[in-house]
Amino acid sequence: MAIDFNTAAIAAMTCWATGALLGIFSNRIPGMKTPGYILAIAGSVIIAGYIAYYWNLLGRPPLRTLGETRLWYAALIPLVGFIVEFRWKIGWLKYYCMSLAAFFLVINMLHPEVFDKTLMPALQSPWFIPHVVVYLVGYVFLAASSTAATHNVYLQLRSKTSETGESVSHYLALLGFVFLTFGLIFGALWAKEAWGHYWTWDPKETWAFLSWLAYLGYLHANSYKIDRSRLQWYLALSFIVLLVCWFGVNYLPSAQNSVHTYTQS
Amino acid sequence: MAVIRRRWFQYPWDFRESILFTAVVVTVGFFIQYAAAGSGVALPRLPVNAIALSLFAVLVLSIGHLFRNAPMVKWFGGIPLGLCLIFAIAVLSLIGGIVPQEPVAEVTLPVRLGMHRIFSSWPFALTVICFLANLGIGLSWKLVPFKSQNIQFILFHAGFWIALSCGIFGSSDLQRLILPVEEGKASNIGYTMENETPQQLPFSIFLHDFALEEYAPNLLLYDPHTNTQTNIEVHKGSSSSWKGCDVLVLDYMPYALPDKKGKLLPADQKTGVPFAKVRISADGKSDEMWIGLTNPSQKPEPVQLSKLYVLLWPGTPKSFRSAVTVQDDQGREVMANLEVNKPVNFMGWKLYQMGYDEKAGRLSSLSLIEVIRDPWLPVVYLGFFMIMAGNVLFFWNGIKRSKDA
Repeated sequence: MAIDFNTAAIAAMTCWATGALLGIFSNRIPGMKTPGYILAIAGSVIIAGYIAYYWNLLGRPPLRTLGETRLWYAALIPLVGFIVEFRWKIGWLKYYCMSLAAFFLVINMLHPEVFDKTLMPALQSPWFIPHVVVYLVGYVFLAASSTAATHNVYLQLRSKTSETGESVSHYLALLGFVFLTFGLIFGALWAKEAWGHYWTWDPKETWAFLSWLAYLGYLHANSYKIDRSRLQWYLALSFIVLLVCWFGVNYLPSAQNSVHTYTQS
Repeated sequence: MAVIRRRWFQYPWDFRESILFTAVVVTVGFFIQYAAAGSGVALPRLPVNAIALSLFAVLVLSIGHLFRNAPMVKWFGGIPLGLCLIFAIAVLSLIGGIVPQEPVAEVTLPVRLGMHRIFSSWPFALTVICFLANLGIGLSWKLVPFKSQNIQFILFHAGFWIALSCGIFGSSDLQRLILPVEEGKASNIGYTMENETPQQLPFSIFLHDFALEEYAPNLLLYDPHTNTQTNIEVHKGSSSSWKGCDVLVLDYMPYALPDKKGKLLPADQKTGVPFAKVRISADGKSDEMWIGLTNPSQKPEPVQLSKLYVLLWPGTPKSFRSAVTVQDDQGREVMANLEVNKPVNFMGWKLYQMGYDEKAGRLSSLSLIEVIRDPWLPVVYLGFFMIMAGNVLFFWNGIKRSKDA
């Protein structure tokens, strides 16, 4: 990755950190609320700007390596936190989201990548961007859903419940599921054009199907008479299946012949 | 408050009975698989599979519709059984997501149980059949009487039913053949991935030209002492510093050949190889030289510096395409350019640029073309588009409901 990635990452993390601090102090000093917001959003804007710059530099969308996908998460996950606060007036989620984003940036700083402009022919398709972006957005929602569910579990362990917290994890899971479904079908339509068949039980496809089933199961359990507060554990843990699908697949014995393994660098 | 505990198999059935039923289905599946010594489920081909699937669909929908108040049918089309079957499909898929899915020669217990071909195994087939029945009965309740508020449910569930059932029942009609063809020649003989028996196709493919374009090569600096390396993408003016060694690319010729005196001359794409003129400075000394790939099929020759090796590494393929003429027995003829991600349709077949002779690389005169016929594709796609339409409504209604909440 280019040298100035570190500068952009540190600038973004500084924005998030000061934004978060101002946000926490705004309980006492209300005047700090707006500057806190502006700083927190500025962090995401910096990363978004860096993605645009990097895209231009590479001459291809930066969506090919794991490190490149982490950049997108870092830009988008805090936005979910802000949207949730705006929509449901829940402030704590954004702190989790900003820490998660900072964590992704730190991983990228520790593993600077080789500059590589190449894109193999199979990835040169109009489906590449919609398929990956839809999945990214889905993962972002589900990461936030899992975070919210973990918070709910934490509350339950301290014998508290938050109905709003539970509806946040629910609606984020619902939105995430919608995007997972689109990602799965876009992938199938692309596979038909690139590899000849829409579904070949490639390990990544199998794991994508598994994570889709996990959330399909959640939605049906929820629509049946199962108490939502009992499903928070399930939602918190479902994201693990997604994580396996995202990068764990690369390490599984079944992945030797997968067409989906990210370039390791 | 007195809690009245429902006894086993006392109606209405719930999760307990569903878990038991699902476990029985999966176990029976594994028993059949074991008895069949690991061979998969053999599906009939068109038109038998289409007739069987239609009958199954009619049967499931009419049972759901006619006996909708029978407690047994209510349970069979309900969410508890659906959830258990989803869980079973997930567990079976998990096996398929961990165990490599490929033919295995030796017969061990996992192989006899079909672990290496889980998606064509009996436990998977039986679970999916039960799941389709469950989904179909649930669907029948929402189809009749028809209400517009059920459209989202119907699109999503019916779409999934169609895509899943047609994808699986139609898999026996999928034909995938690889057709190797040399430049200037025609061929109508294809091979399957599974066996080497050649198969004659109803059309022939004539290959006019195979062309491959590569990305610019890389200069590779290699340190044998630490077994580390760094890459520099080659273009005029690119430079890098590594381990006290400065490298600058002074000139770059993508296609060149040395003449008898060793002077480099530009050449055409078919015969030329890349050459780069580099200036390497290390330990206060500076040297200029041409580094080239003598032949794209050979390993690049390294130039040794004091501590490091420098070599030119060929670029990865950027695109490759075959100019072909496809012709069938009736004299129908199509000229086309086949490229990765740009398949061409011909008489119900889809033609894909698949590969080439990788040893010859850019100079390959052999092209591998994959030809695929899948008569069930339009129905599966119908299912996909129904799911996507249902998904849009789900998104919309989900958001709307969250605003009411």
